[in-house]
Amino acid sequence: MTEAMIRVRDVSKSYQRGGETLRVLDRLNLEMEPGRFYALMGPSGSGKTTLLNLIGGLDHPDAGDLHVAGANLSDLSGSELAHWRAANVGFVFQGFNLIPVLSALENVELPLKLTSLSRAERKKHAAYALELVGLADRMHHRPRQLSGGQEQRVAIARAVATDPKVILADEPTGDLDRKSAEQVLGLLERLNREFKKTVLMVTHDPHAAEHAQSIVHLDKGQLGRLEENPRRAAEVARSVP
Amino acid sequence: MSSFKLVWRNLMRRPLRSILTILSLVVAIFLICGLRTLITTLNAGVENADSRRLAVMSATGLFVELPMKYQADMERIPGVELTTKFQWFGGYYRSQKNFFAQFAIDPDTMFDMYPECQVPAQEIEAFRQDRTSCVIGASLAKEFEWKVGDMIPIIGALHPHPEDKAWEFRVAGIYHSDVPNFDNRTMFFHWTYFEETLKQGGVPPGVGVFSIRVEKGANVDDVIRDVEDVFHDSEQRVDCATEAEFQRQFVTMFGNVPLFVGWIGSGVVLAILLACVNTMLMALREQTTDIGILKALGFTDASMFGLLIAQSLFLCVLGGALGLLVAWGTQGMIAERLGTMFPGYTIRPATFGFAAAVALGIGLLAGLVPAGRAGRLRCVEALRGTD
Repeated sequence: MTEAMIRVRDVSKSYQRGGETLRVLDRLNLEMEPGRFYALMGPSGSGKTTLLNLIGGLDHPDAGDLHVAGANLSDLSGSELAHWRAANVGFVFQGFNLIPVLSALENVELPLKLTSLSRAERKKHAAYALELVGLADRMHHRPRQLSGGQEQRVAIARAVATDPKVILADEPTGDLDRKSAEQVLGLLERLNREFKKTVLMVTHDPHAAEHAQSIVHLDKGQLGRLEENPRRAAEVARSVP
Repeated sequence: MSSFKLVWRNLMRRPLRSILTILSLVVAIFLICGLRTLITTLNAGVENADSRRLAVMSATGLFVELPMKYQADMERIPGVELTTKFQWFGGYYRSQKNFFAQFAIDPDTMFDMYPECQVPAQEIEAFRQDRTSCVIGASLAKEFEWKVGDMIPIIGALHPHPEDKAWEFRVAGIYHSDVPNFDNRTMFFHWTYFEETLKQGGVPPGVGVFSIRVEKGANVDDVIRDVEDVFHDSEQRVDCATEAEFQRQFVTMFGNVPLFVGWIGSGVVLAILLACVNTMLMALREQTTDIGILKALGFTDASMFGLLIAQSLFLCVLGGALGLLVAWGTQGMIAERLGTMFPGYTIRPATFGFAAAVALGIGLLAGLVPAGRAGRLRCVEALRGTD
């Protein structure tokens, strides 16, 4: 049996808001296989982004264990968690979150600074990642000189530059028009299909979710139904020789 | 992309704010150099004083004259090798704004007493030969474009000429001094000319200060005690002190200048520190989301601390370096403007070092609070743009 890429065991998370305790995740259990594309859906406040942040090591659970890409995140110190993120996780955010004072190439090069690559190698890798997302001709543009779709593609290039095992995308098409959204989703699908990345995408959009192989529904901090996407399942079946 | 590029680009998000902060540092470091140099200039006389030279003045005060006959009495005291006398003339050239120090001196002993006052031998000889001549400092000669042979009319404000006209002195020589306690902006003229002219008006001059050189091997404290004892019951009691002590007393005539200047300097440092802290806190607020992104990418809390500290240090080191450059480049002009008030105004390497350390210290302190906050920021909160 394949070992899970993401294993969530009895994870709970609460926030204090206005003197009230909000239980966002309540003893959640979930397993995700490596090399699959998951969409995480649910109404607002269901805990999708919180779960994504916990899986990405950006936040800590109040209780429970998270095993992601072979590491128990509870065992890692702050700096160990940072190193783990650099090596294993690529993030794509709704608001693109590029550094505005850096060019597209420099933004993609940023996570590579945490590797042992030389400056020339970093540049080469970053340029390749931008080529992969179809932005080779925009590498010296600053974020404000790019359209929203192009910015998000730069963010995807940055997310894959270090060749992480897991890509976590939080509403990656939320701020994009339909055409740009399709390009971004196509890219995520390609990263999963061709490069075998495990992709976990939070989305409200059922059309976006159709690009995933599995759709995980969250409701009030607990796991709802888990459904398979027949279109992707058929594609996967066709691709098997 | 180097880390320096990220530091630089972050600072250039608000170029006007960064430039203004750098300019305020330039001014502050320039002021610190200037203020500290005022103190070191005042103290230079004390530090460079000759340990074998003594100054004798009236016990009542510097502006009370001593009788000329005291010189002969001093020369008889055991351990006294050489004596010479000075009298402050207090005149000006053409108008009062052209003020510089003038002293009546004895040409036969003065140059022997003060070997740091370097004059070519033939010019000293010419000075000795001509009673109406004078020797002037190189800076003075440059300032007024005087040369050997020129006649200089000086209005005697403190010692008016008996014929109610300007005193006239012919330039016999130009001296040069390399030590800070002997400035190059003074005029020395013949005691005989001074004495004889004043006698014509019926007011024989007294002596402002006697200088004594103690014999090698003689006990300086003994000589000081003997000098004061000899004149204890005379018409004017005297105060005898080493040259260093005399210079120290002279400095204290201005009040506690080092303390006053120190307060101003501290105020400047505190004001610029607060301005830099404010700049860096604003920078942190603008970069909060970026810090969240960098942390999400795998940069550690320590590296975010370093990013903010580096920005603060860069601002302050650049401003400090420019301030040092301005201070260095303007010291000649300032020395000229300060003239006789602070002769020998030169910024010492130690002062440059001190000012550089202040700039570095401001950079570290100003960056500490925002850098600490950047390091402690929780990633998810930073990504929301809240610090």
